[in-house]
Amino acid sequence: MQTSKKLFTLLFMMALLLSACGGAATAVSEEQATEVATATESSTEAATEAAAEISGDLVIYSGRSEPLIQPVIDAFKAKYPNVNVLLKAGSNSELANALIEEKANSQADVFITTELLTVQSLVAEGVFQAYAPAGVDQIPAEFIGEGNLWTGLTRRARVIIYNKDLVAEDEVPASIFDLTDPKWQGQVAAAGSTNGGMQAQIAAMQQLLGDEATEEWLNGLIANEVTFFGGHTDVRKAVGAGEFKIGLVNHYYYHLQLAEGSNVGVVYPDQGEGEIGLFTNATAAAVVNGSKNPAAAQPFLDFLVSAEGQKLFAEQNYEYPLLAGVALKEGVQPLDGFHLADVDVVKAAANFDAMFDLIERVGLP
Amino acid sequence: MTKLVVQNLVKRFPGTQQSAVNDISFELSDNEILALVGPSGCGKTTTLRLIAGLERPDSGSVRLNQRIVASEAVFIPPEQRGVGMVFQDHALFPHLTVYDNVAFGLRGKTQAEVRTAVGEMLHMVGLLSHSKRYPHELSGGERQRVALARALAPRPVLVLMDEPFSSLDADLRAGVREHVRGILKSMRATVIFVTHDQEEALYMGDRLAVLQKGELEQIGTPEEIFHESNTRFVAEFMGDSDFLKGIVRHGGIQTAIGLVPQIVDLPISTPVEIAIRADDVDFHVDGSGNALIIDRFFRGAFNLYRLRLDTGQVIHAINPHTNILAVGTRVQAYVSAEHSLTVFTK
Amino acid sequence: MELTRTNLTYQKIRSRISPRLALAAGLVALFVAVPLAYIFIRAVSAEPEAWQRLFQERIWKLFGNTLALVIAVTGGALLTGVTMAFLTERTDLPGKKIFRWMLAMPLAIPAYIGGIVHLSLLRPRGGVIPQLLENLFGQPVPTPSPLGFWGAAFILTLFMYPYVYLLSGAAFRTLHASLEEASRIFGRTPIQTIFQVTLPALRPGLMAGALLVALDILAEYGTVALLRYETFSSAIFVQLSGRYDRSAASVLSGILVALAIGILWSELQFQGRARFTQMESNWRPAPLMPLGKWRIPAFLVVLGVVSASLLLPVGVLLVWSIQAFLDPETMSMLFHTGSQGFGTYIWNSLWSSSAAAVIAVLLSLPVGLLAVRYPNRVSKFISRLCQVGYAIPGVVIALSLVLLVNRFLPFLYATPLVVVIAYVLRHMPQAVRASESALNQLSPSLEEAARMMGRTSLQTLIQVTLPLILPGLLAGGSLVFLTSLKELPATLLLRPAGFDTLAVRVWVWAGEGFYFQAAPAALLLVLASALPLSFLLRREQIFK
Repeated sequence: MQTSKKLFTLLFMMALLLSACGGAATAVSEEQATEVATATESSTEAATEAAAEISGDLVIYSGRSEPLIQPVIDAFKAKYPNVNVLLKAGSNSELANALIEEKANSQADVFITTELLTVQSLVAEGVFQAYAPAGVDQIPAEFIGEGNLWTGLTRRARVIIYNKDLVAEDEVPASIFDLTDPKWQGQVAAAGSTNGGMQAQIAAMQQLLGDEATEEWLNGLIANEVTFFGGHTDVRKAVGAGEFKIGLVNHYYYHLQLAEGSNVGVVYPDQGEGEIGLFTNATAAAVVNGSKNPAAAQPFLDFLVSAEGQKLFAEQNYEYPLLAGVALKEGVQPLDGFHLADVDVVKAAANFDAMFDLIERVGLP
Repeated sequence: MTKLVVQNLVKRFPGTQQSAVNDISFELSDNEILALVGPSGCGKTTTLRLIAGLERPDSGSVRLNQRIVASEAVFIPPEQRGVGMVFQDHALFPHLTVYDNVAFGLRGKTQAEVRTAVGEMLHMVGLLSHSKRYPHELSGGERQRVALARALAPRPVLVLMDEPFSSLDADLRAGVREHVRGILKSMRATVIFVTHDQEEALYMGDRLAVLQKGELEQIGTPEEIFHESNTRFVAEFMGDSDFLKGIVRHGGIQTAIGLVPQIVDLPISTPVEIAIRADDVDFHVDGSGNALIIDRFFRGAFNLYRLRLDTGQVIHAINPHTNILAVGTRVQAYVSAEHSLTVFTK
Repeated sequence: MELTRTNLTYQKIRSRISPRLALAAGLVALFVAVPLAYIFIRAVSAEPEAWQRLFQERIWKLFGNTLALVIAVTGGALLTGVTMAFLTERTDLPGKKIFRWMLAMPLAIPAYIGGIVHLSLLRPRGGVIPQLLENLFGQPVPTPSPLGFWGAAFILTLFMYPYVYLLSGAAFRTLHASLEEASRIFGRTPIQTIFQVTLPALRPGLMAGALLVALDILAEYGTVALLRYETFSSAIFVQLSGRYDRSAASVLSGILVALAIGILWSELQFQGRARFTQMESNWRPAPLMPLGKWRIPAFLVVLGVVSASLLLPVGVLLVWSIQAFLDPETMSMLFHTGSQGFGTYIWNSLWSSSAAAVIAVLLSLPVGLLAVRYPNRVSKFISRLCQVGYAIPGVVIALSLVLLVNRFLPFLYATPLVVVIAYVLRHMPQAVRASESALNQLSPSLEEAARMMGRTSLQTLIQVTLPLILPGLLAGGSLVFLTSLKELPATLLLRPAGFDTLAVRVWVWAGEGFYFQAAPAALLLVLASALPLSFLLRREQIFK
């Protein structure tokens, strides 16, 4: 009894200590973020005061995984110190399900997704309210939802990452259809059926190639013993470590892995004559219908499409910013030079169910 | 014919000062029931377990049917000794039915043979109708009988019974005891029966072996043990004896209630004690007698009186008289036994 | 025997059931039954199309997968648990006193955390061990993969066997020496005795352990998802994050619940009439079996199990934690994610699990009182009903609560309270069982004495009954706390934004591949579970 009491006290003190440390660490990083903010944007006293008046909880449902949204939230918090951001990160469709479930009882203020099909199909469910963020006119019209129900943030490309130690440059598959080649049997990693990027690619392929050809491709991947991970971080790390020779990922995962010092290379596939072209996704954000704190949600969206926010996406995560005039991170290949797959987002979103049917039919993990 | 020979058996458990069994020897002949009796901790159960092969002796030997099963050099494991045993807690296998429990020891037989043998045994103990039940569905007495049937079914050379009735209620015990002895005798079984209850020992045993502190005090027929106790311990343990002080004189022993006319081979004037039981003493009312009634207990057929002698010693006496004598009555007490009494020097 | 007799007389004296007590117990039963009934209704009322689609494509595969894993892990846990219990309880194994503790301790390690560690160690090509071997031999050496069926079966066995170990260990300890002696007397060798008498006689303990394992596997989400093996539980999760339609998930949940109830039922059937009462008198511990030349191999086997299930996971977590603390970037991420710090996760974990423990114990009281003091069919039924939660996977309870609460109690939706309710529903059986056994040991005459001395029934409850059964209730509460702390799927599905527990953080971080970051949280989770666990082990006098 005596010992366990002591242990309890010990644990309790540890907890206190840790929370204290936590507080300190938060303070430091906020400071840093404030410095960055002051350096990048000359905010006037008046703006700071106005920002300070906005307060309360801001609930964000994010399909972007935590590490990919956290820096942006930190920067936002530096500008709006009285807003308490509550983040729930998960898969796009998991959160979309939650939004639909909560239609009559909204919990979230802002929804962020990693592809357009989910926002587009949620529009049909009446989940969002219209909001045109400041500076939205600087974003290409095709990345603005009808009636300003959502706003695009960044683009990313679906590419092939490969381990340069294991695969010679001239061997690397130049097409996603080469991934079903028995030559690569058991050597390919990809994200599984719960991943938004993968879902969007399948839906897009269904639109461009039809159900049959897409099913054939998926079956080919499964037959070729492709390993499907829960997320792309696993894929890039596995390829980086040489566990797999090649992987199907979003382009920035290549850069993230490269930054970790791995010897990896990248291919922007299907660029040949008559080939399907490079698949791209766009991330998007929307204000949720029934948001309890639109006063904080709207400035948050403003921030996401502002030069500062866009720069963070580009700098920290190597993405393609949608705001005109924001530079790409060094080393990222501009999309202009590539032949892109021509997908109609609205149509693809309308057929979202067919995508889930297909995933179940082939039993994609 | 001699069935079992136990010679100079010694067993000491690690961490104990005294030997649990210290130099015990005895023999057992065919169809004989030997009751090992003594207070708890006297070594009787250990002796039984040494014979069974559940313990290994430190020295000495056990011979079963002329075969050495345990000695310094030889140790036959219990499963190869062919003895049967009834455990104190019955130790029925909880996962087996009554039938399977009884059949457990029957090996190397055809199914039909097993069926016949089990049926016979269950019939004998009167539990044929319970053969499909599990042990937890039986009463204490029924469990006891199943344990017996299980021990007897393989027709063992020797049956060991370790306080088999101790877990039964007192009212059940007498009946079961009669029944079991009947069965053992009808099967002509050779049995060692361990108990701490001297009455049970007297009832069950053809012969009794009294143990104390790991040593054999006396072995003999019930009559010998009861009436001719070798040691004060046996006399005390086997019957509620009083020890009457006396001094050896010519022609007998002088006591507080007169001269007991028993000649002993002791020098004159030796102080001795005579073991007497209540039925060895009688008295009559006498205002100038040598004792005072200090208590009376009604015992149905007779009255048991507690008498305080003038020397201060208290003895017991049975008085069959129908007239009831009041506490405080002065009486004259005397030894009425017609058999010789056991005398111990101090 | 004695006990039932007193109960009978007691029943005669006070056969009138207190209406207040019956009402309270009834309300608790309702609280437990509604989420269950709701998921069934949803499953049955799902569109036929959903059923059809599932039946054509998925269900049989999932059924096979789930059942295969249940059988393999239950078998593995039985084999490991019984062997370990035998070696530490019945032989002269060196170091068995310490081993007894260490073999029970993996209960404090959630299987998914163990899975994370083993995955990082064994992962083909990328894992620590394969890479070590490759460096050593200059070429890839094939190693067993922790992924898929065999990997999942292996890792789950490692962290589930303690259930069997603890229960069979207790059975070994209380087994009468005379049973085995009788077997020897009637001609069985020591080895034959183990298989023909000892193990069959231990069956109730073994079955209870196997049942716990089987139900836990049905409910398991984290580990199977991690090791990429699809079972009903993980398939429900996938459905929930898939199409915008919850009927498929409801259908799968309904089937999963039916499967769990099937396992419960078959356990009862299998147990049959051979329920074994302990014989009371003259208990003697069975003698130790000398291992002889097998001493060293046996020692190595036990050491291997302890290493794989306890030393290795804790050691790796320690190393990772140290690395996390040494790396400033990881440190800052550790203490600042979302808008929350590390302290918040600890606080959330502790308070939600504690609240669940307190509520579960409070709710279990009327149920236990009714079942023990007024044993009849209705009270037995209520008590059984309150124990079904254990067979219902967290993901099913969570799904049911999401749907129910959002429809009918929207103000509760997306509050931490729903998470707590899920913990209570899922883990109440432990509290009910603890309350019942504590009340069973309390003689009703104590309460009667209090009544005779002028206390009302409520005063009696507070002044006499509660203080006396408090230790039992504490034990039940600790169990609820321990298991709630580890609960992953229900927390993942029900948590409101910003409400992260240690378990959630471990899962999220590890899911992103940030093992160093996940390690301190995992280590704390293990430590926080180890405390109530050692309290329980001590209390049960499992260790002499």
